[in-house]
Amino acid sequence: MGSNPGDVVQGTLEMLILKTLALEPMHGYGVALRIEQVSEGVFRVNPGSLLPALLRMERAGSVKSEWRSTENNRRAKYYMLTARGRKALKDETSAWGRQTAAIARILEA
Amino acid sequence: MGIFTRISAGLRALTNRGRVEREMDEELRGFIDASIEQKRRAGLTPDEAARVARIEMGSPNAVKHHIRSAGWETAIENLWQDTRFSLRGLAKSPGFTVIALLSLALGIGGNTAIFTLINQVLLRNLPVRNPEQLVTFGRNNGSGIAGGIDLGSYGLFPWYFTRHLQQDPGPFQGIASYCSFSDKVSIRPPSANGVSDMSSPAILGPASLVSGNYFTIIGAQPFMGRALNLTDDATPGTGAVVVLSHHFWQHSLSSDPAILGKTISINGTPFAVIGVMPEAFHGLKQELEPPDLWAPISMQTVVLKQPTLLTANDGAYFLHVFGRLSKEATANQGALAQSQNWLDQQIRADIRSHEGAKLTPERQQEISRITVPLISATRGVSTLRNRYGGTLTILMCVVGLVLLIACANLANFLLARAATRRREIATRLALGSSRGRIVRQSLIETFLLSLFGGLLGLGLAFAATRALITFVSHGSAYIAMDPAPDAVVLAFTLGVSLLTGLLFGLAPAIIAARTGAAANLSAGSRTAQSSGGKQARFWPKALVTAQVMLSLLLLVGAGLFLRTLRNLENQDYGFERTHLLIANFNAKLAGYKPSQTPALHQQLLERLSALPGVQSVALALTPPISAGNWSSNIDVPGYTPAPKENTNTNLNRVSGTYFQTAGISIVAGRAINDADTLNRQKVAVINQTVAKHFFPKGDAVGRTLLIGIGDVKGPWQIVGIARDTKSSDPRETETQRMLYLPLAQIEPLSAVDPTAPTGTVPEENQDRFAGLIVLRTTGDPAHSIIDFRAAVASVDPNLPLTKIATIREEVEDFMSHDQLISTLTGFFALLALLLAAIGLYGVMSYNVVRRTSEIGIRIALGAQKSVVQWMVLGESLLLLAIGVGVGLPLTYAATHYIESQLFGLRAFDPLTFSIALIVVSSMTLLAAWLPARRASRVDPMVALRCD
Repeated sequence: MGSNPGDVVQGTLEMLILKTLALEPMHGYGVALRIEQVSEGVFRVNPGSLLPALLRMERAGSVKSEWRSTENNRRAKYYMLTARGRKALKDETSAWGRQTAAIARILEA
Repeated sequence: MGIFTRISAGLRALTNRGRVEREMDEELRGFIDASIEQKRRAGLTPDEAARVARIEMGSPNAVKHHIRSAGWETAIENLWQDTRFSLRGLAKSPGFTVIALLSLALGIGGNTAIFTLINQVLLRNLPVRNPEQLVTFGRNNGSGIAGGIDLGSYGLFPWYFTRHLQQDPGPFQGIASYCSFSDKVSIRPPSANGVSDMSSPAILGPASLVSGNYFTIIGAQPFMGRALNLTDDATPGTGAVVVLSHHFWQHSLSSDPAILGKTISINGTPFAVIGVMPEAFHGLKQELEPPDLWAPISMQTVVLKQPTLLTANDGAYFLHVFGRLSKEATANQGALAQSQNWLDQQIRADIRSHEGAKLTPERQQEISRITVPLISATRGVSTLRNRYGGTLTILMCVVGLVLLIACANLANFLLARAATRRREIATRLALGSSRGRIVRQSLIETFLLSLFGGLLGLGLAFAATRALITFVSHGSAYIAMDPAPDAVVLAFTLGVSLLTGLLFGLAPAIIAARTGAAANLSAGSRTAQSSGGKQARFWPKALVTAQVMLSLLLLVGAGLFLRTLRNLENQDYGFERTHLLIANFNAKLAGYKPSQTPALHQQLLERLSALPGVQSVALALTPPISAGNWSSNIDVPGYTPAPKENTNTNLNRVSGTYFQTAGISIVAGRAINDADTLNRQKVAVINQTVAKHFFPKGDAVGRTLLIGIGDVKGPWQIVGIARDTKSSDPRETETQRMLYLPLAQIEPLSAVDPTAPTGTVPEENQDRFAGLIVLRTTGDPAHSIIDFRAAVASVDPNLPLTKIATIREEVEDFMSHDQLISTLTGFFALLALLLAAIGLYGVMSYNVVRRTSEIGIRIALGAQKSVVQWMVLGESLLLLAIGVGVGLPLTYAATHYIESQLFGLRAFDPLTFSIALIVVSSMTLLAAWLPARRASRVDPMVALRCD
């Protein structure tokens, strides 16, 4: 489990999921694909970490899920943001902004 | 809210396992389908797309495992799995499980049983409001009616003084008093119409006299009705009201819900029932047999059947006093010292005002030093605590040690099992199990054992506590102790069980987790077992050595207590101890007047001496050995006492045949005989101690003496000297002074108080009553009991016999705690020895099994059987030597703590120590000999073929 270029920076996966879901409700693969595409292939999220993270977030109340049919008429579990999730995204984004700015300052110093 | 969704989602997942599993599968399938779809759109062939998607996802089971671990319910599932696994493991080795559970049940059960008693006797607070504020004035242990002592000596006070304190409690919130003894009274419950029914049979029950503010100051609320108040106790002779104990109300009055306002008769006088106390309340003084009812002190003459003790400016000392401290005095020492000081001032002032003008400077000095200490009564005053407190503490240590020995055994068993399970553990580690999970599984197994053991122990403790309470109660019908465990006891048992599990489970668990995977999988099982290294072999041996040490300690303790009991039983008591039957009777309760006693006594003596198998019969006030005594200061013309000298002497009044019946020999002069009647010269017999002290020249016979108690003042002429007897306690080292008076020569009328107005008619003298029949039989005295009862009933069927016992039982009563402690320490020492033997045998046999191939090689190379035997035996002997080497000094140090409990021997008793050493050594040799023999019989061919 060493650090691998494809792995998401530790502790940021939930934030990325929240951000992705903030656009629209999606199923699990949709989230993984969106993260991969937007990051231009830097981050690859496999289901072994994505799905447990979604379950944890669901239990924590920041997302909720619902079975819907997909565009090609199959059943899939769609995840969507709750009010609590929106707030969590805002908090985590601003915290992350502060942290990266601080790290950047340290690295430039 | 978050926590609730988490919990409810987890619970749903646990209860709907099937659905959750299906949904998970569906989601994964959807995931992979979408992934394949995406890859196809990107231009891969369907086969390739499916292959890449599967590689990306990895094993679906691993993904599912990851998802499951994200919820808390998985931890519970794992726990449940481990528990089932452990239960299966335990069921597969029933021998181990049974021995483990049995030793745990005995260990934990013993601890729980003793703790149940300790909790009730030593730890429990009084069930009243703020019990920590209560203090007794002086020790409230003594009881009786005394005269001629200083205020507060023996914790006793006269009525007038307690009244004075009650009205002006100074810095205290309040001060109350109660009679120092609870004599049995004759009670007749009310009939159907609510009036006491004189024809219904009387019940004998202890009654406690208390001041009107007793319940207010002690802080107890009645269960129903009201408690006593100041008005009830205002005027002597009035206030015929009574508060019942819950037990009496429940058992003798069938919990009559309409009891309030009905009348019960006490000693023939009607009393109105005004209240019932709660079940847990037994008064400030926790007596073995708690009071059935409480009546105001103002009704003393009726309840005690004695002339009034409630006199205005003087009087007998018979009350105990307690107070409720102010909040400040409870919290800080300075305020407490002020309360103490105030009390001492009150006492000194009262003594001065009573002794008046005749005060010498020495006496002034003495008075200014008199102090009556305030003693905390948070847990009440308990006779049981005084009697059994030390015994119970020692027993608690003993059962604690036994539990430690049992723990050591189990730790050893588990260590051995951990060694045999190395391959299994190594396999599990290699397959990806975490060390944490292995330790957890191992601990779950030990906790299962200790909790089941604790549960069994709880059942065992209940039975054992019942037996112990029966023993402690000496056959009293009801005592205020309960074998059922309360919350404190349950918490104690749970705590002990968990601690035990941790104690014997932690080391094996850690060793199990240290197992390396690779090394153990590659080696053969035998070599793996013997490759544990020095450390793995050190712990079992250290534990066995500790067991040897502790067994030695327990054996020596048991031996010392056993020898103490033997010494107490076999010493010379100075009176007959085999053929006496003694019976207490109470003619006062049957309505006799003092003037009727000579006729009654005469009839009893005649009727009883005619019984078959009876050698002689006598009457007395107290038996040859008795805890309570009639005593007084005496005055011997011609003997000048030293200043402050205590001339207090125990008195007994006896019929003419007492000395020959009780077997007390006369060393000079003559005994009291039937010719010493009322109109003849008043005579007395003294014991050797009195003779030596007051008549050092040896001229006692023929001299006279006077007694401080007015009603039997004398002068009495000494006609004989009787042998010294152990009259108050088998352990007494200093013989008590004894003075015997002829029952027939007690004056019919009481002495008239010289300060009383002229013309006062003297009352009848209550000292004419005997209290005891002594019967000397030719055969076993217990066989005469039926005839004896019948004969007494033929004289007067209403004469209550309050207690019948052989002299042996009477003496044993004084040694009950010695019997208890020697029986129990003996039992536990043997149990400890057995456990240690099992432990030693187990470790040694396991060592032999472990070394089978090594021994096989030795024998194949020509080692003699005796050499092999000695190899095993020598190892055990070394352990024994170390155990004894460390154990002896430890035991020697520990026995010093119990020296005060011993009698007739020192803590270092060579005989006891040698026997204990021999027993421990033989046990070790026996436990080691069997494995040694097995080692010498190892067949080299079989041993070497195994691996």
